[in-house]
Amino acid sequence: MNDAPVTEAEIQAHVDGRLPSGRAAAVEAWLAKYPDEASRVASYRAQRDALRAALDPVLDEPLPLALDLRLREGAPTGRPGFGRSALAASIAGLLLAGGGAGWTLRGLDAQATTGTAALAREAAASYAIYADDRTRPVEIGADQRRTLDAWLSRRLSRPIAAPDLDAAGLRLIGGRLLPTEHGPAALYLYQNAAGERTALYLRIMKSDDATDRMTRRDEDGLRGWTWADDGLGFGVFGAASDDFLHSAADMVRARYRQS
Amino acid sequence: MTPSMQPSGEMITLVQPLIPALRRYARALLRDRDEADDLVQDALERAIANWRQRRRASSLRAWLFTILHNLAMDRLRRRARRGYPAPIEDVPEARLAIPPTQETAAAQRNIMALVARLPEEQRSVLLLIGVEELSYAEAARVLDVPQGTIMSRLSRARERLRRLMEEGEAASPPSLRIVP
Repeated sequence: MNDAPVTEAEIQAHVDGRLPSGRAAAVEAWLAKYPDEASRVASYRAQRDALRAALDPVLDEPLPLALDLRLREGAPTGRPGFGRSALAASIAGLLLAGGGAGWTLRGLDAQATTGTAALAREAAASYAIYADDRTRPVEIGADQRRTLDAWLSRRLSRPIAAPDLDAAGLRLIGGRLLPTEHGPAALYLYQNAAGERTALYLRIMKSDDATDRMTRRDEDGLRGWTWADDGLGFGVFGAASDDFLHSAADMVRARYRQS
Repeated sequence: MTPSMQPSGEMITLVQPLIPALRRYARALLRDRDEADDLVQDALERAIANWRQRRRASSLRAWLFTILHNLAMDRLRRRARRGYPAPIEDVPEARLAIPPTQETAAAQRNIMALVARLPEEQRSVLLLIGVEELSYAEAARVLDVPQGTIMSRLSRARERLRRLMEEGEAASPPSLRIVP
């Protein structure tokens, strides 16, 4: 099935980890037979890793004020630097593109801006932006879980924590703080053994929307579940199956109701 | 460039998370922190001014990198015309991309110095694919060449860099030295 001759383009894609798994296995098998080619691939990977090690520190540098769009004079204000209607509109326009290529934009539709429907769009938009980021999906990693939980709890003015989802095969990567038109939100990212990511998104709900049942969501093809309990809104989104996301959502809800 | 143009809330939400990566690519191309950040600022101004013209159906990341890349090429051409004062290896330490940290710093400067010796078209592909993790299709858009060209440039860039690294090792073991 996968015994076509290996091409140079495939070798490059293999270095980048971008071959379909069947074909990657075929290239691996081929490399096992040609040690010179295998050492070439190893050398290319070492180059890439060295380049990243040299350049990634730039990502950790504080952003110069001149480059921070949120600080532009006259930028929409309210919550730190974010316009209300514009943000809601932008979130409505996001969808996750198929494949690993990232995310794209679609026309903006007028949509509800309250309740868990709004939360669903925010959560899906956040997933689309961050879950696909292989370099810096989170601000604080799981190795500093306590710091992360404490920080997000402080910013949301509500005790929250990344629930343990090992039972679902999900390992915490870390989390980040996000701005929304309804105030700060927390995004926790989890990953399974295959590297597929699932997001848990939380924020405070308005009193009218303080409690809402578990609802299935489909945000332009990205699926997930939302609910609200006692003023805290939740969204679980990911590329996994509906059933899987539903059971992960149930698990999260149970953990929060226990606490 | 007037800094008076204002980004919309939508643009802030979508673009702000991508700025660190734009800085990284600019730094890698120009290897000068201040000039690279200045370049990113230029690119952001263009993006703000042309926000409505972007093609909504395609990758925002590719669109931003295209703007940045083209402005970087303009700067590098101007540099070449002015006769940029020093070969890249002679730029004072403090202005280089990489903050010196521990013993890895020397090796990291070396990889950057070697990459600086690649032809421009190969360097861009190497960075966009290997560091920025653009898809091959996105890189083809940014550089305005067919995807097949991306693959062949990538192959040539990696092989050339491998030979440069081997030469370095042979010339002065055990640590690489590039400066003549």
